[in-house]
Amino acid sequence: MFQNPWAILIGVVAAGLPVAVHFLTRPRPVRMPLSTLRFVHEAVLHRRTRHRLRDALVLTLRTLAVLLVACAVARPFLGQAGLSAVDEQADAVRVVVLDVSQSMGATNHGIESFERARPLAARHLEYRRGMKADLILAGARPVSVFTRASSNFSVLRDELSRAKLQPEKLAVQEALNLASEIIAREEASPVLRREVLIVSDFQRSNWGAADFSVLPSGTRIELESVAPAEPLPNLAILRVAAQGRAEIGRDLRLEVEVGNFSDSPQTVTVEVVLGEATAQLSGLCGANSKTVLTGDLALREAGWQTGEARLLGVSDALAADNVRACVFDVRPAPRLALVTREPATKRPSASYFIERAISPVEGTSGDVAADLSAATGDGLARLDPARLDRDVIGSVDLLIVVQPGRLPEDSINQLASVIRRGRGVLYVASDAADAANLRLIAGATTGMLKFPAEFAPPAAKQPRRNLFLVNVQQDQPPFQIFGDELPALLETLRFSGGLDSRRVEGALAEDILAQFNDQSVFLASATLEAGAFVVLNADLSASNLPMSPLYVPFVGELVQKLLGQGRRAGEIACGEPFALMLPPDAAAAAELSMAGPRAGEPVAGDLSDDGAGVLWKGDSAGGPGVYRVLLKGTPIYAVAATIPAAESDLRSVPAKVFEERLAGGREVRYRSLTRSGSEEHDTAWSWLAVACVICLLGELAALKSFNT
Amino acid sequence: MPATANSRFVEMHALTALEHMRFTTRHRIEGTYTGRHASRQLGGAGEFVDYRDYAPGEDLRRLDWKVLARTGKAYVRLFQDETNLLCTLAIDASGSMQFGADPTRSKLSKLEYAQYLASALSHVIHRGQDQVGVAILAEELLALIPPGGTASHATFIQDTIEKLETRPAVRMAGALRQVFEQTRQRGVLLLMSDFLVDDLDDVFAALRLFRHRKSEVIIIHLVDPDEERLPAGAAFRFVGMENEGVVHCSPDEIRELYRERFEAHAAMVRTLALSNGCDYRRVSTAIPYLQTLGGFLVERSG
Repeated sequence: MFQNPWAILIGVVAAGLPVAVHFLTRPRPVRMPLSTLRFVHEAVLHRRTRHRLRDALVLTLRTLAVLLVACAVARPFLGQAGLSAVDEQADAVRVVVLDVSQSMGATNHGIESFERARPLAARHLEYRRGMKADLILAGARPVSVFTRASSNFSVLRDELSRAKLQPEKLAVQEALNLASEIIAREEASPVLRREVLIVSDFQRSNWGAADFSVLPSGTRIELESVAPAEPLPNLAILRVAAQGRAEIGRDLRLEVEVGNFSDSPQTVTVEVVLGEATAQLSGLCGANSKTVLTGDLALREAGWQTGEARLLGVSDALAADNVRACVFDVRPAPRLALVTREPATKRPSASYFIERAISPVEGTSGDVAADLSAATGDGLARLDPARLDRDVIGSVDLLIVVQPGRLPEDSINQLASVIRRGRGVLYVASDAADAANLRLIAGATTGMLKFPAEFAPPAAKQPRRNLFLVNVQQDQPPFQIFGDELPALLETLRFSGGLDSRRVEGALAEDILAQFNDQSVFLASATLEAGAFVVLNADLSASNLPMSPLYVPFVGELVQKLLGQGRRAGEIACGEPFALMLPPDAAAAAELSMAGPRAGEPVAGDLSDDGAGVLWKGDSAGGPGVYRVLLKGTPIYAVAATIPAAESDLRSVPAKVFEERLAGGREVRYRSLTRSGSEEHDTAWSWLAVACVICLLGELAALKSFNT
Repeated sequence: MPATANSRFVEMHALTALEHMRFTTRHRIEGTYTGRHASRQLGGAGEFVDYRDYAPGEDLRRLDWKVLARTGKAYVRLFQDETNLLCTLAIDASGSMQFGADPTRSKLSKLEYAQYLASALSHVIHRGQDQVGVAILAEELLALIPPGGTASHATFIQDTIEKLETRPAVRMAGALRQVFEQTRQRGVLLLMSDFLVDDLDDVFAALRLFRHRKSEVIIIHLVDPDEERLPAGAAFRFVGMENEGVVHCSPDEIRELYRERFEAHAAMVRTLALSNGCDYRRVSTAIPYLQTLGGFLVERSG
């Protein structure tokens, strides 16, 4: 197997040159009768052995040198019989898988990996008698040119020449499954040779979990890597997000995650442009690591703000991931309501502690109180659970339910409706009425709101006392912000009262954010459509939590979590299927239109009326940029399609891993065109060059030793 | 003196200058007639050389009566007989003798050279009142004309020399033996050859027979300049002149080795000749034959 087989042809011709030159330049003998032929004969016999040895040596060494140069230029892969090296006459079905994911756009010496891969794939799509082939363009949704392998190679090559790079992640397993299906469609024959040739950069992030065992047994698998010898250094913006809600008039705390996939630390500067607002974030990003840059951005306009984050002053292998689109839903200050039967004057009480916890966090709590006062005609920012006003409930962003007593059915239904509309509810449960209320709320949603645990009043003989927290999910809000100090803070907390709980079978463990030492749930979350519901199982008046320094930020984080749930601006991965539920503003799909980042281009997906709202669903997200849903020209929803972060890591899977771990019992041969090193087996050319030099030196030595 | 010289190898106008010279021998010889060469016989005529005791029955005419009268002892006077020369010119007619002819350069082959030389010698010998014969040698004796002294004999010999034709031959000893067997006189055998034979030892063994017969053997070793050193050129296809086949080679590659081989061969011929009591003379065909003949005769005349 040679990288440049044409060089062999040239080499063979060139190898004949010394022989041809030898014969062409050989002097034409002059015929001459000679009387002393015996002496000539003796002299020739004496000399000829020597000269013939010299000529043979020189000619052999010279020819060998030319052949070795040709072989070196041809770049052989010793020890690896390529697909073309096997029996040419046998019937074969060959599937060529070409990686068209974003990482193939990495440039090395000015040439994209994809452009290196295309001729490689084309070489394996040459017509051969008895062979049928198919081509799979492997991106997020691998597609084959034909449904069955075909001998129409010209179409395959045309499709190959038209193939374009996609800003997507490679779905490795789907591609292998598709290749397996194509091969399986061929009639089973013991003489049929099955070949799968994959041309890719074999990114570690994509190929690390590839499973070749899905391919039919006996399939020869050849992996042709176009990745360079050393991973190309690359900087990328991996995520753009905001801490908390984006509120008008309040600085947005931006989080930009930057990945440095190189061996040296880099100082990076990211410019974030969002509408008319601009911010620059700078920081040091360590070698082969990710770092999160933070900064504030003042937003002055409400609504969907779109923009992009861009790495400044960076010129790396993959330019596409230096820009990342982002979108934020900038909303007015949130409106909160406290639903409780406790009077505002009762101190201390659970409602009092909640109210006091919210006030320092929510700088606009005064406005909330004012608004609520206006709505309720009450001086307190409290709502009576027995008489919940539908309009007031509809105008708030978050309901906090504390000591509501037994809720009437109407209130239960209203709470369920609030959740459906994408609002958040924080329920502080502490007594038996709360357990009943929670069951009723779940029932009001026809079981769609699924708590991870069922709450029940504690047994009379087993009072809940001196409980402490265990199994806290430290990396999730609301505990995330405490970082390493969380264990020390939790150590001092002691709880009494609250409800017993029993974990629901099949519930997600991650929905239980913290537990007491008796395995009852302390904090649990559940979602229903766009809304969120969090249960805080604690009698605040009977525990030391409100007195803890942890308390205020803890409640604040909870509130932020619930406020951000409803209309969180999101990202979708380019090329991936998506399904997005539009906010309640979207009344009917027929009234909506869609707009993409580039005018005139169709937007992927369709809008359809779902039972709970409008669903935006598509099989494959479009290219990078912001996509918006418009109601009468006004954006009511936006989402950023981004390049998957995994595509930015250009490190490759070592050949040994393929051959030893991922092969799945199949015969896998790995070959790299550009990589050097023992694992790549293509160092033979350098040895051939050395051998060529030795031949030339040998020729000189031969000429010298024969005194020529 | 020959009445007419028909042979193209007899250049009378050139030989005129050599007519005053005589071909002499360094040994005493046996001749048929009285001549001017010292005979092996000590007879009653000629130049006094010695006395010896008289033996009864001897010819009393040789008795020195004056000495007998003075001393009372009978002595016989001895006189050196002089006789004529019987010279046989033996010419090698093997194929290799054809080498060297180049009409464009008026260059003679070894055979032509030998023909000129032999014809001139026959003329000189005949002019000296001596008898000359010729033997043509190849694998076998091609022709043998015993020595004769008449003009017509000389002409016949020269005609024979002129019509001489070569034959592929790599052996010469047999022919020499035939000459030895068919001749009886103790004369001079002058052998002109290039000695490119396979049976060199046998040749000299045959020559030893002549020497045992007390004949004088003179060897003229003919050498062409192109034999001494190979011609210049990149490549040659040498063809043997005695059916020896063909050899392709580049002369430059073997020039030195060839020269060594050739000189070794010439040295061997010379050594064998001298060790067998033969007179040896190496003659290059590059030297005009008249010059060679003149030098030869001058040297022979002592």
